[in-house]
Amino acid sequence: MRQAKTAYSGFLSGGGIPRQHDPHLLPLARIKKIMKKSSVDVKMISREAPLVFSKACELFIEELTKRSWNMTIQGKRRTVHKEDVAHAVATTDVFDFLIDLAHPNTSNHHVDLNEDIEKKQ
Amino acid sequence: MANEHDKMLPIANVGRIMKQILPPTAKISKQAKETMQECASEFISFVTGEASERCRKENRKTVNGDDICWALASLGFDDCSNAVVKYLNKFREFEQERAAMNQINEDEDEAAAGPSNSSKSKYHSK
Repeated sequence: MRQAKTAYSGFLSGGGIPRQHDPHLLPLARIKKIMKKSSVDVKMISREAPLVFSKACELFIEELTKRSWNMTIQGKRRTVHKEDVAHAVATTDVFDFLIDLAHPNTSNHHVDLNEDIEKKQ
Repeated sequence: MANEHDKMLPIANVGRIMKQILPPTAKISKQAKETMQECASEFISFVTGEASERCRKENRKTVNGDDICWALASLGFDDCSNAVVKYLNKFREFEQERAAMNQINEDEDEAAAGPSNSSKSKYHSK
């Protein structure tokens, strides 16, 4: 196990990976856990697979965050809200699989409305 | 509660990646981070499902890095797939170099050990 960690850290520090793309941003063990739970068909996972996902997830989060930020700016705000993420999902075809997870009309939205009503009172 | 968190990527890590890509003055609400956390975790499940389906069809038991790269492209994440293929190739090069270095080290150790090797083999044959 210790050897594997040394191998990864050598790859990360000396492998020409820019600091901002350090894969240690996401824990490999947790990624593996999520992979296993995704389907009963998933039996064995190679050592490479969680490493590949650490990079893919980082890129995914960056892309969705950038698009969410576009929504934030359109709303003339500086804080990214859940609704910005939901709108980014709704307007990007490749994020269709997230439609149910990040829907603009969520219970959260109701909470916001209630807060507005309280403020007016 | 603990079970639920185990199914997702840690929110601190997710938040850090989000922060890095945004301007320094940008802020992120807690709920936005939670939503991103859920989305990223769902992304892993979604892509893994596609990859494992391919393995099943090809009668393979192990989901490997190539399967993930293929699944990313298959599901429309082209840019991501291209970047990840490069990353995987770099990792494999590194692994090969490391294996080669280990082999050289082992050869050197054996050479240094010299005569004691024959006595070792006598011991093992018992």
